[in-house]
Amino acid sequence: MAQLRMERQAKDNNYLHKDFHKALNRALIYLEERHGCEAVTAYLEEFANSFYAPLRLALLERGLDALRDHFQRVYAQEGGDVTITRDKEADRLSIRVHSCPAVSHIRAGGDPVSGLFALTHSVINASLCQNTPYRAELIDYQPSDGACLQVFARKEHP
Amino acid sequence: MISCTEFIPAYSAFFVFLEKTGGYAAVTDFWDYLSDTYLNNLRDLVLRKGLSGCYEYWSQALNEEAADFVMQLDQESGLFRIEMRHCPSKGMLQQTSHIQAYPRYCAHCDRIYRRVLEPLGYTYTIDLTQTEQACCVLTVKTQISHPAQREKAPKSLWERPVKEQESG
Repeated sequence: MAQLRMERQAKDNNYLHKDFHKALNRALIYLEERHGCEAVTAYLEEFANSFYAPLRLALLERGLDALRDHFQRVYAQEGGDVTITRDKEADRLSIRVHSCPAVSHIRAGGDPVSGLFALTHSVINASLCQNTPYRAELIDYQPSDGACLQVFARKEHP
Repeated sequence: MISCTEFIPAYSAFFVFLEKTGGYAAVTDFWDYLSDTYLNNLRDLVLRKGLSGCYEYWSQALNEEAADFVMQLDQESGLFRIEMRHCPSKGMLQQTSHIQAYPRYCAHCDRIYRRVLEPLGYTYTIDLTQTEQACCVLTVKTQISHPAQREKAPKSLWERPVKEQESG
């Protein structure tokens, strides 16, 4: 009969538990089923307005470089297949997601993906830009793999 | 995209949102839903492997979450135990001072795992008295029916208080 013991300190591992994408996906499905799309949007807005407040402040202070650094870090951690382009002349940031690491992980586990999963881009990004000179746009979102183009640009440069 | 490294604040905010919408009952209803839909891997592992399934499930989860923990499995005594010395989730909520963390955040660990393990014939306990220090102790026991087994178990390492184990 086995006796097993495992001891770890935080420094022994990198913090990356991709199953959390599945849990968030389940939360979105649950909320839509019980309270509708408006509730999902309201929840994501509330979360973004609170949690990303420092990032929004950085956006105001440093411009789109702050968002570029944020998304570079996030997609590097997640191993995402993305191309991030910062056009300083046009003051524009483009994030071409060839395959979304969150959607890929959820689908790999056989789970259904929330029909509202795109809101984790569109609502969050719009919230980031709220009360800043910037706007966010989500273009050509593909539910099958989460591929999309996310654009941040100055409001006066559509 | 909300990174998986940002999930815990999103999860906490979800509990806050649900409680505003429908009270604590709405939160526990979601935890039950999550247990039923998200923890199938734990359920399957325990069904196939018994307490070893717990060890396998939490080996992956706690390493990926970079937790500070001691995890022990004693199949002879029918005991599985996690001493969480620093929960990365609770720790993150405490460190992220600009957000209002859900005050009953740690209660989800009681609800969602109990709902999986008790119907499979295990006794599940979690000591949440030290969560302000981001510590907890989770125990899963095979339900003991034979007197010989019952005699063995209380004497084991598992029944001793955490502080005694640390000092001794």
